[in-house]
Amino acid sequence: MKNKIFSWWGCFLILLWFIPFLHSAESSDVLVVRGGKILTISHGTIENAEILIEDGKIKKVGPRIQIPENSELIQAPKGWILPGLVVPHTILGTGNRYGSSDANETSNPNTAQLQIIDAVNPFDKDIHHVLTGGVTTAMVTPGRKNVIGGQSAVLKLKGSTVDQMCLRCPGGVKFSLGKGPKSTYGKKGRLPSTRMGSAYVIRKAFHEAEAYLKKIQKKSKGQLSPPRNLKLETLAKVRNKELTAFIECYRVDDIMTALRIIDEFDLKAVLVGCTEGYKVVHEIAERKVPVIVGPLGVGPRRMETRNVRVNNAAALAGAGVKIAIKPDESLGVGRIRELPLIASFLVKGGLDRSQAFRAITLSAAEIMSVDDRVGSIEPGKDADLVIFDGDPLYYKSHVQRVMINGETVYLKNEQ
Amino acid sequence: MKKGFFLLFCFILTSFSFLLADESIIAIKNARILTVTQGMMDRGTLIIRGDQIHKVGEDLEIPQRARVIDASGCVVTPGLIDSHSHLGLGPSGGITEDNEMSDPCMPQLRIIDSIHPHGMPPHEGSFRDAVREGVTTVIARPGSGNVIGGQSAALKLTGDTVDEMILVFPVDMKMAMGRKNYYASKGKLPVTKMGTAYIVRKAMTEALNYRDRLQRKKKNNPDFTPERNLKYEALLKVLNREIPVHIHASPGNDIMTAVRLAEEFDFYKLSLAHAVESYRVADILAQKGVIVVVGPQMVTFDEEGKLINIADYLVKHGVEVNIMTDADVVQQEFLRFQASVAVKYGMNPSEALKAITINPARLIGMEERIGSLEKGKDADLVIFDGDPFDIQSEVRKVFINGKTVYKYTPSPENEGIQ
Repeated sequence: MKNKIFSWWGCFLILLWFIPFLHSAESSDVLVVRGGKILTISHGTIENAEILIEDGKIKKVGPRIQIPENSELIQAPKGWILPGLVVPHTILGTGNRYGSSDANETSNPNTAQLQIIDAVNPFDKDIHHVLTGGVTTAMVTPGRKNVIGGQSAVLKLKGSTVDQMCLRCPGGVKFSLGKGPKSTYGKKGRLPSTRMGSAYVIRKAFHEAEAYLKKIQKKSKGQLSPPRNLKLETLAKVRNKELTAFIECYRVDDIMTALRIIDEFDLKAVLVGCTEGYKVVHEIAERKVPVIVGPLGVGPRRMETRNVRVNNAAALAGAGVKIAIKPDESLGVGRIRELPLIASFLVKGGLDRSQAFRAITLSAAEIMSVDDRVGSIEPGKDADLVIFDGDPLYYKSHVQRVMINGETVYLKNEQ
Repeated sequence: MKKGFFLLFCFILTSFSFLLADESIIAIKNARILTVTQGMMDRGTLIIRGDQIHKVGEDLEIPQRARVIDASGCVVTPGLIDSHSHLGLGPSGGITEDNEMSDPCMPQLRIIDSIHPHGMPPHEGSFRDAVREGVTTVIARPGSGNVIGGQSAALKLTGDTVDEMILVFPVDMKMAMGRKNYYASKGKLPVTKMGTAYIVRKAMTEALNYRDRLQRKKKNNPDFTPERNLKYEALLKVLNREIPVHIHASPGNDIMTAVRLAEEFDFYKLSLAHAVESYRVADILAQKGVIVVVGPQMVTFDEEGKLINIADYLVKHGVEVNIMTDADVVQQEFLRFQASVAVKYGMNPSEALKAITINPARLIGMEERIGSLEKGKDADLVIFDGDPFDIQSEVRKVFINGKTVYKYTPSPENEGIQ
């Protein structure tokens, strides 16, 4: 007992000793970034302006900001400054394509109870490589082999533990329709071997979750509480719209199955992939379901994505659907660290430039419900910034500097 | 009677040839012409006569009957060549026609026997899509599932049968180093990388023994006709230095195994595919004259996290480089954007253009016919409305053998949108 009191005093003393240091640290934490063009995303483009950063948060944005004394100044007079880019769907950090991936627990088609954070390696080199492309936030999700893959995680690409990286965990629950689960379990002669089998797995799971919810609600009337069920607990949260359902689907039939399930269970949902979305834009638009578009016509063409079109994103956005982009993991011009190049392809496909910028920043943040923290350059948000040496959509432009929470995490010259 | 028909036929032929002459002369003027081998012209004229390039120059007189294309503000390049493609052979990750997985050593197979000239699902139309982005020639190759995959073919992307498309066949022998997971999972040779190398060595040795045996028998009996062996005959083309070898090898050790095999069996020419770690042995590759076909991965990172632009690094160290898509790993039509990535990270644009035109042409020994804009060469060319590497640039027109095979129409992709 005595010891405990002693240690408390010790702690207090140590804290006291630190106070002056904390103070001095705070004063040098004021940072000003000056750029040629600031694409705030939320409030248009401001030319020759500054961003005032305090304690890792954006305090002020605008031209001729009064710069406090002792503040550090980062100059990029010809630079284009964007909010840190946001990738809303990736298996980054869960193992690479040359080795085995930890993103698919293929022992059961419904593994809603799993958490992807238990599979992420913060020291995976790919994470840093993607960061150097300007991506500061990414939602890492389970793969597409299970019908219900598990809980995803919105991570900042900085930190030595996954807990430090977490921005929103869980970030949603991953569902997958079409060939992924069908071929995985069909091969073993197990459910689901068909597309209707996959839909049944989801419907059954939600009905079980509903029954579980009812039992819990009854409990408050003095009955015994049901034993905890991690799987149904998660699904119940999806059913209650506490968690977003991210449904991977490519072909138009799978897209419509996803929409049917969204209607039936009144889910807060996002479509992922949606290669043939252009065929049913109005069905998607009238339900106000956002879409994470990918592949984009620049990556590998699988059987399921044979009808890929580079103007898919433009067609969806034109009908009023909120879009973000899902890049490919590692190859070709569709690579995850070439996100601005992909956006450039979408512009070629007819997407408005400002919509393309929004798709790789704020829209993605909104889809993952982290737009209170990231996705645009406005006061109160995290100081996650990328500085390009020219128009980010031009193929010869480069990332010069990447900042997360006001801290420079990549500087080109340092290479 | 017969003679009368013949005369009539001749008459019709001559009267039509007069009309045809009009169509067969095309003059492209006011274009920025990237000849690849003879520099660049800012406002040049290129004249096509029949299926060949008749003239390229700055102040050319345009023949009266020529069809004139004013290409002001446009850039003309040779038709693009992809030196490593699986176009028309099945989807990546699906049922493919390029890997005969019944035996790891299959030199006797010919890729032309697998190719559907309009592409198999989901490749229907993929040849047309490739042409639309300026790709006019591809080298179609067996996959890397087997150690010796078979014989590759260079195809022009025009024609309704594979026979019409063939530019060169066999163009080289395709091999693949490294682990072969399919056989390893069955506990069948090769389970390891050394097993893979042994399969090549064994096959080559057997082919040499076969050759010796034949020569001995022929010496004793000049009328001797041997029993044919397709496998050894195919390998003897390599051993007799009639065709080069193309080897899939990505890590540094696989690359050097390929180089060792090439020296041991005195390959006529060795080219490597992918070769991500080739930058670590660039000097050795340069010294030995090994050609590297870079892609679909264009950049990598070294231990210190420094970005390596593979193609650029190799060129700067004196290695001849081609750039590929490995279609459909990256879609065939994105060949020029594979080069854009290399240019983005510092490769000289003219070197990048060489890597998708004249260098692949040289790789297949067709540098006299394709790969640059010069008098007498095949009229395979592309008209872009801007920098060919800029994503926003569109292809305006594509010619193969002097024929227009693609003409730009505003957003053809919008067809079918509801």
